[in-house]
Amino acid sequence: MNIENLQQLTQFQIDEQPHIIVNKEICRTCDHRACVQSCPANCYTFDEETKLLSVVYETCLECGTCYIICDKGALDWSYPRGGYGVCFRLT
Amino acid sequence: MAKYFDVIIVGAGPAGSLAALKLARAGLNVCMVERGKYPGSKNMFGGLLHNTPVLNEMLPDFWERAPLERHVYKKVLAFMTPESAVSLTFENENFEQPPYNGHTVFRPAFDSWLAAEAVREGALLLGDCTAEDLVRKDGRVAGVTVKGREGQLRGNIVIAADGVLSFMAEKAGLRRDFKVKNMGVGIKLLLGLPEDTINERFHLVRDEGADISFVGTTANMRGGGFLYTNRESISVGMVVHLDSLKASGKAPYDVLDELLQHPQVRKLIKGAVPLEYSAHLIPEGGIKAMPRVYTDGMMVAGDAAGLCYTNGINLEGINLAMTSGVLAAETAMKALEVGDYSARTLSLYKKKLDESFIIKDMKTFKNAVGMMHAERLFQTYPRVLAGILEKLYRVEGMPRSKLLRLARKEALKEVGLKGLVSDGIKIGRALL
Repeated sequence: MNIENLQQLTQFQIDEQPHIIVNKEICRTCDHRACVQSCPANCYTFDEETKLLSVVYETCLECGTCYIICDKGALDWSYPRGGYGVCFRLT
Repeated sequence: MAKYFDVIIVGAGPAGSLAALKLARAGLNVCMVERGKYPGSKNMFGGLLHNTPVLNEMLPDFWERAPLERHVYKKVLAFMTPESAVSLTFENENFEQPPYNGHTVFRPAFDSWLAAEAVREGALLLGDCTAEDLVRKDGRVAGVTVKGREGQLRGNIVIAADGVLSFMAEKAGLRRDFKVKNMGVGIKLLLGLPEDTINERFHLVRDEGADISFVGTTANMRGGGFLYTNRESISVGMVVHLDSLKASGKAPYDVLDELLQHPQVRKLIKGAVPLEYSAHLIPEGGIKAMPRVYTDGMMVAGDAAGLCYTNGINLEGINLAMTSGVLAAETAMKALEVGDYSARTLSLYKKKLDESFIIKDMKTFKNAVGMMHAERLFQTYPRVLAGILEKLYRVEGMPRSKLLRLARKEALKEVGLKGLVSDGIKIGRALL
C-alpha cells in the first residue's frame, strides 16, 4: 500500500501556521528518530546528507504518535487552530 | 453571545455531547468548544459503538434516529499466521433486537448527530475552536482560551472531554507525562464495497454487521487487527502499542498492508475502493495510567481521563466516555445547585465513576494490561494454534498423536515450559 495514495484519500484544511515545530539541533543527534518510522502519515523525513529532520505538517492526521514517541523533547506539538488540519468525512 | 456559562465543555465528542445534552435538559447554560469544523471531524475509532445504557436512557429511540451503519450480530476472533487462520465465530439472535449490543458508525456522522441533539435542547456549539489554555480565577479553573476564533470563554465549571491527549488535563496539572507503553495507535483504511457484496461475503442479511478481531497480524508488535462491516463499506485497521511500534522499526501502514494482503483477508476485501485513511491514539494503560479526574472548577471525562480498557476480548472506550460525560454532568448540576465548584464538591464525580461499571471493569481487568504486554500472545500462540490444527487435519499416511500430546509438543516447541508457565500466570491473572 502506497502511503502517498493513502493521504490523498483524507481531507485537510491547510493552515499557513505549522502546528508541529521540530528542534532540528536535537533531532540531528537523536539516536532513534522513531518519529520518522512510526508516523502513520509519513510526515517526517531525515536527510542523511544534511542531517536535517523535516516535517510535513500539512498531511498530519493529528494522532499524536510522534508527540508521545519523541523522548528528546524535540517537538513543539499542539493541535492546529480551530477549523484547520485534518477533516475526516467518513471514518 | 453570552461569554459566561454554567459549564464549558471542551470537545464535542461522545463524552462532551452527552454531558451537554444532560446539562441543557436541566436548563443550564452550557457551551461545547470543538476544534473541528464539525463534531467528529477529528475523531476516529475502529468502528463499534457499544451498547451504552445511559445513551439508551437519554435518547430512547436513538437507534431509529441516529446515523448508524449496522448492528453487530457476528463476532469473530481470528488467530492468524502468514498462511493460515484459526477463527472462532459467535452469532447470536439476541444481538438482533433492541437494545442492540453495538452498532458500527462513522464518527463524523454520529458525533455530529449527538452534538446536534444537545444543541436542540439548548446547548451552544462553538465549532472551529481549539481550546488552548485554561483561565484561572482565585486558584481554580474558570474557563478556557481558544484559538481559531480568538477569545476567552468563562464559566463556573469546565468539563475537559478533549480526547486522549487532553492538553486541558495537562494544563490543570492532573496528569503526568504519557508513557509509550501505555498508548496504542490505531490506523484504519475505509474501503467501499456494494452492500450486496458485503452481505454475501460475510453471510449477513439486512442491517446485520460483523466484527472481526485478528491476532497475529501485527508483524512482531503487540496489538491486533480489526475489520468491521458498515452498510456500504468495511473498516480495516490495526492497533499496536507505541513502544513495540518503536522497537519494530516498521512503518504502521506497511504492517496494515500486510494484513490487507493476507490470503484470507484479501478475499474479503477484493474489489474494494479505498475511501479514507485515518489514525488515532488509544489510552491503553488501564486504571494505573489514569490522570486525576477532577480539580477546583474542572472535571475530566472520556479518553481524556484514560477511560478505556481492553482484556484481549473487549476493547471499550466510547461507552465509558459517554457514561463518564453524564456522571460529570450530574456532578456539575449538584455543584451549581450548591454554588460550590471546589475540588471537594467535584470529588463526587470520582465517587460516581468508582461506583459505575467504568472503574469496576477497569479494576477487574487491571491485570489485563500486563497480559496485553506479553509478546508471545500476538505471534507465538497463533502459530501454536495453527500448528496444532494443521497437524490435526492434515492426512498424509503417517501415524497420529493424540490431541493433548500434539498440543503439548507444539506449545513446548514454540514457547518452552518456562514461557508457558509465565504466560499462563499472566493470562490467568488477567481473565480468570
